Amino acid sequence: MSAERKLGIAVVLISILLLLILIPFGVDTPNQVSHITLSPDFWPKIIVSIIGLMGMLMIINPGVEPQEGTVKITNPFSQGLRLAGTLGILFLFYLLVPTLGMVAPAIVLLASMMWFAGERRPRYLLTISICTPFLLYFFFVHVANIPIPLGIFESLRG
Amino acid sequence: MADSILEAFYLFLTFQNIAIVFVGVLIGTIIGAIPGMTTPMGVALALPFTFTMQPVTGILLLLGIYKGGLYGGSITAILIKAPGTPAASCTVMDGYPLTQKGEARKALDMALYASCFADLISNLSLILFAGVLAGFALKFGPPEFFTLIVFSLTIIAGVSGEHLTKGIISAGMGLLFATIGLDMVYGTNRFVFDNWQLMGGLSFIPVLIGLFALPEIIRYFSQKVSDQIKPVKMSGMGATFADFKRSFKSILRGSFIGVVLGTIPGIGGAPAAFLSYSEAKRNSKNLDNFGKGELEGVAAAEAGNNGVAGATMIPLLALGVPGDVITAVILGAFMIHGLRPGPVMFVENLTMIYALFIGIMLSSAYLFMIGKFSIRAISRISEVPNRILYPVVIVFCLFGTFAINNSAFDVLVMLLMGCVGYLMLIFKIPAPPFLIAFILGPLLEDNFRQSMILSEGSFSILLRSGICWFFWALTVLSIFLLIKSRKKNIPLNG
Repeated sequence: MSAERKLGIAVVLISILLLLILIPFGVDTPNQVSHITLSPDFWPKIIVSIIGLMGMLMIINPGVEPQEGTVKITNPFSQGLRLAGTLGILFLFYLLVPTLGMVAPAIVLLASMMWFAGERRPRYLLTISICTPFLLYFFFVHVANIPIPLGIFESLRG
Repeated sequence: MADSILEAFYLFLTFQNIAIVFVGVLIGTIIGAIPGMTTPMGVALALPFTFTMQPVTGILLLLGIYKGGLYGGSITAILIKAPGTPAASCTVMDGYPLTQKGEARKALDMALYASCFADLISNLSLILFAGVLAGFALKFGPPEFFTLIVFSLTIIAGVSGEHLTKGIISAGMGLLFATIGLDMVYGTNRFVFDNWQLMGGLSFIPVLIGLFALPEIIRYFSQKVSDQIKPVKMSGMGATFADFKRSFKSILRGSFIGVVLGTIPGIGGAPAAFLSYSEAKRNSKNLDNFGKGELEGVAAAEAGNNGVAGATMIPLLALGVPGDVITAVILGAFMIHGLRPGPVMFVENLTMIYALFIGIMLSSAYLFMIGKFSIRAISRISEVPNRILYPVVIVFCLFGTFAINNSAFDVLVMLLMGCVGYLMLIFKIPAPPFLIAFILGPLLEDNFRQSMILSEGSFSILLRSGICWFFWALTVLSIFLLIKSRKKNIPLNG
């Protein structure tokens, strides 16, 4: 079975799940609506039906497999690990913001991402990973007047 | 009108505005010249920096990036055969052979002259036609706007790449994500799941940055894409006035092709460049030299590509509907600044519109200056390796997203949208239809439901006037033409 057809099946299944579970539980509808088209769940139902219809079209007529621009998975284990590592670093940053602020986690994130991508020159690793977050911090706080949390560097705010 | 123009000059003529247009064009040219960075990505990253600026200043920064990006894409197309933007792919055909012949400087100069001329023609068209169209649109009510937005959604066919069904699925996802939040008529929750941060709906910028900036970067890190940089070869003499004169007919024709195609939502720069190129080739005495390093070919491609820039702003400013992905982002920027482009803006904010026109005209001059004097430096910037560029871009994304509402929740939304965008990249589902539908979704639903309230549920209101019929006819015609052109394999992914 072609990848396009499999994707079509997945789209149809997700549409059914949305129609039967997510929309009934996720959209609060009043007891009385003056007309069906004004109901809060009318629009989501129409949209999901169209998505499902497109999924069915992909099953019936999967078309030619796209070649260019597709992400080619040559070594699934290694790529999976790299993907997990990348997403792990990004979500870790999000989790650290409330306690450590934006700047310190950004320095660690930048240095680790550059290292991860193959940059080994210490002068680039250090200068870029330290200067970029501080420059952005100074822009947002002192030029745009947007308070960016400093976390452990809070004492520097003065 | 004269008073409004005078006030517009007063509004525009500040150091900030004059400088910001320059900065925008410069950033856009650099971003366009870096393979792997796209103009929508650049506009998305710059958007958070505009929050605290005056609306005119902020919008002009984004417009400058848009215009610079269109030209910047041609630099690497000519020098290293790597078009920075899809629209510059046509420039490769004759630009790179010229570089191989040792005439890179001439090709770059001609690309610049053609770009600036076409940009000027496009800007003049915007100034002449946007007001007229807006005057017509003042007669619109909810049913007319609904049919207009339905027509605008045919853009999706133009930005869907090779798979229309996937484009429609992507648009459906965008429309569905746009329904998150409080219902506009009854005030009940839709997909909020007791999370108060979702009551106002998803913020536009985290969705935009997540979809357009993160997926490529995640792909880079997960795939360990090669980081080889081709050395830039800048050689030969510059283009002369005689060269420009020889290509002038093709430049003029290409500019008008760009203007006409630019006003039609969803067509974009790439088809305009290819059509302009094929027309130049058809009418040229040096027909056999096209594809082997013909200077007129570079001129025609760049004129078609840049002729689109001002023209895509016509439907945006006059009707409030975007002409392509970047103008969709700019529409979002207007909304963030509390403005709603469309006919009413021509009544209530005419001064601001004229100030934007002044800035847009200035951007053509800046484009010429930047292209003429800093091209060597810009082409060197394109050599920055992705292993440094992409981590820096991630930090820009995180800071920019956080700064919108000082909210870590927005960062989470951006990261999750990045994952959605990465999955879309894996399954080759195009992201632009998602974004366009996400922006137009609330307008579509709002006008539909207002129409239903007016007609007490009768669908006949959607055919109540000649304007409605006109847009339904345009929608049908547009779909017919897009399907026909797809069968002929004309690229419509600008």
